[in-house]
Amino acid sequence: MALKTSWIISLKALRRNKLQTALTMIGMTIGVATVLTMIALGSGAQSAIQDQVKAAGMNMIVVKAGNYSAQQEAVPDDAIEPAAYSGWPQRGGWGSGVFVPGKATLLRSYFHPEDDPFAVHDHPTARQRLGDSEAGLGAAATLTIADADAIRRIGGVQYVSEGVHENAHVVYGDTRWFTRMHGDDVSMPRIKRAWTFVHGEYFSKRQEANAEQVVVLGSIVAEKLFGTENPVGKTVKLWNQSFKVMGVVSTTNWMVAPAPGDDEFDAIYIPVTTVQKLLNLSKLNDITVTTQSTGEVTRVSKQITELLRVRHGITAKRPDDFQVISQAHKALTGGGMRTDVQRAVVGNVAGLEKVTLDQLGKTLDRASATMTALLGSIATVSLIVGGIGIMNIMLLSVTERTKEIGIRRAVGAKAQDVLLQFLLESITLSVVGGLLGVLIGYIASASISKVLQWSTQVSLVSVAVSFGISAAVGVFFGYYPARQASQVLPIASLKYE
Amino acid sequence: MTPNVPVISIKKLTKTYQMGDVAVHALRSVSLDIQAGEFVTVVGPSGSGKSTLMHILGCLDQPTSGQYFLDGKDVSRLSDDEVSTVRNKKIGFVFQGFNLLTRTSALENVELPLLYGPDPVSATERRARAMAALEAVGLGSRYEHHPNQLSGGQQQRVAIARALLNNPSILLADEPTGNLDSRTSVEVMDIFQSLKKERGITIVLITHEPDVAAYGSRIISFRDGVITSDELNTRRRTARGELAELPEPLEESA
Repeated sequence: MALKTSWIISLKALRRNKLQTALTMIGMTIGVATVLTMIALGSGAQSAIQDQVKAAGMNMIVVKAGNYSAQQEAVPDDAIEPAAYSGWPQRGGWGSGVFVPGKATLLRSYFHPEDDPFAVHDHPTARQRLGDSEAGLGAAATLTIADADAIRRIGGVQYVSEGVHENAHVVYGDTRWFTRMHGDDVSMPRIKRAWTFVHGEYFSKRQEANAEQVVVLGSIVAEKLFGTENPVGKTVKLWNQSFKVMGVVSTTNWMVAPAPGDDEFDAIYIPVTTVQKLLNLSKLNDITVTTQSTGEVTRVSKQITELLRVRHGITAKRPDDFQVISQAHKALTGGGMRTDVQRAVVGNVAGLEKVTLDQLGKTLDRASATMTALLGSIATVSLIVGGIGIMNIMLLSVTERTKEIGIRRAVGAKAQDVLLQFLLESITLSVVGGLLGVLIGYIASASISKVLQWSTQVSLVSVAVSFGISAAVGVFFGYYPARQASQVLPIASLKYE
Repeated sequence: MTPNVPVISIKKLTKTYQMGDVAVHALRSVSLDIQAGEFVTVVGPSGSGKSTLMHILGCLDQPTSGQYFLDGKDVSRLSDDEVSTVRNKKIGFVFQGFNLLTRTSALENVELPLLYGPDPVSATERRARAMAALEAVGLGSRYEHHPNQLSGGQQQRVAIARALLNNPSILLADEPTGNLDSRTSVEVMDIFQSLKKERGITIVLITHEPDVAAYGSRIISFRDGVITSDELNTRRRTARGELAELPEPLEESA
């Protein structure tokens, strides 16, 4: 007999017992809805943790030009070394960067081409770029946009933003405000996950490519210059040049409110290309990199180091002319630790501290994955309970419907027709119940995130899994009763009242 | 089928049930031939083996030994699937308890055999054929009624319509009037008699009431698993004539 006919028979049989059908289905619906909601909550929590970690900058790496942690300024390859000099300490110890208090000497006496008063450079030399606190401590203008592009090609890298930082006066009408100027890439709002735009938006890729004179104001700057006015579309002056205001940026982070003097919101953002053009710079102060996952920070940091060493032609025994700083690095160096200890730690166990914080990220990932699995398995129990409910009802139904089976057998139904009918009934119950469950689970997850503000995430996989389980439950728990039904003897059933 | 080959031919049919330690001999080597177009009534007290015979004739049960030829084909040793097809195609059942599916319309009840046929039948054809069968038993206007909305007589007529849907070789009726009042019983017997007369259907009817048995053209008596008498009925009752004499029905006007 055609499957379609069997299915029609099953549907008719189910329709004859509406209440029973509905009650059985509810079991399945609740099961599937629970599984879906639990998984949604679990993976919501997981991605929320990931988001927090990312928002905290755990996946952020900053590559800074210069390397003060190496303590003594490296002798540039092109430096002219006085032949008579013999007191060069720690030859060969560069890579370790061990800090020896008291022996810090800045080897300024070396002649460096950049120091040549007659040389004409296309960028301010390290010495000229005062205002960079690192200047003189190994700051070297070595990072370029080409370096940033090379970093972009490393696997696992999410966003890369070139950075040039200066202090600048912003002028609007008669109002002046001295603030921090950041020359950045368009990807900055995606790197700074806590950012939100009060007005307007960030400058576009095209504006960056064309080095247009556009500016995004930090909320503090906007307030100082414009008060409550919407500055978008207005023109401010910077270095006596006109800049069109594109947007105003603030933060969604309620823990740290924007305040005058901070680096993010008492600041203005200009395309890095514009800054380079106007200030005649070809080098960068830093490159901000984010990784796709928190767990990759160490690997990516390492790769960046290797890449830049090759690009900058640094030989094995020379120290880096840049610093790769991850959030871990900052956490360790920013915690009120004695400066000398900090330097010693960062210098000596750079790998270790990165690994530990990296592992914290991984642990958080694992913990939330475990939670999802736990919630999912608890919910699966409810699915199984729903399945047993179906089996129960179907078994009861076989006894109750012995006569119906007998009638069907008498008019010519084969044992397998009866088997198929009962099997299709339970599959229909569980699949329709499951579909309803998916719907209810989806609504439940959506309302939970709306009302309780918990983050939930209904993934296609979780829908497929819970739906698949419900169909499997229908087959699995439906088979035994169906088999029982098919084995009912035709005469026995006709005598049954 | 040639007239010489009997529709039903059973040879030395034995059926023994094992009830605990006791073997119950329901049928003891019964042989019987029924020709096409006969209206055979089987009478006997309960426990005489007539119901067992009916189950075996209807392919609902298989004999312990002996052979059963239906339309010249041995059906006593067929597989469950083959027997199901035989039931579907060649046998129509009418039961004492009507055996209709509850909460299912008369039309859908009548359609039932077509759902299990070896050849697929389209939904529209199923409906058309079932409708025609219902009209033949005078219930065309009540096709949407559920069994609980129909009287006993009407339910039995739905059952007859269902039994005849696949144009079976034999119609087996097990105490078809057992649950009906006397007037309705006569109506049902009228249907059977006209089926025999107009369509030449072979009918085997089982009853314990000699009154009902008297409508048949041949009466077979059973006792303790053996045939005690098998004779042509010379004093046949005709339901049509009796119906005319009975007072107007109250039930049918409802």
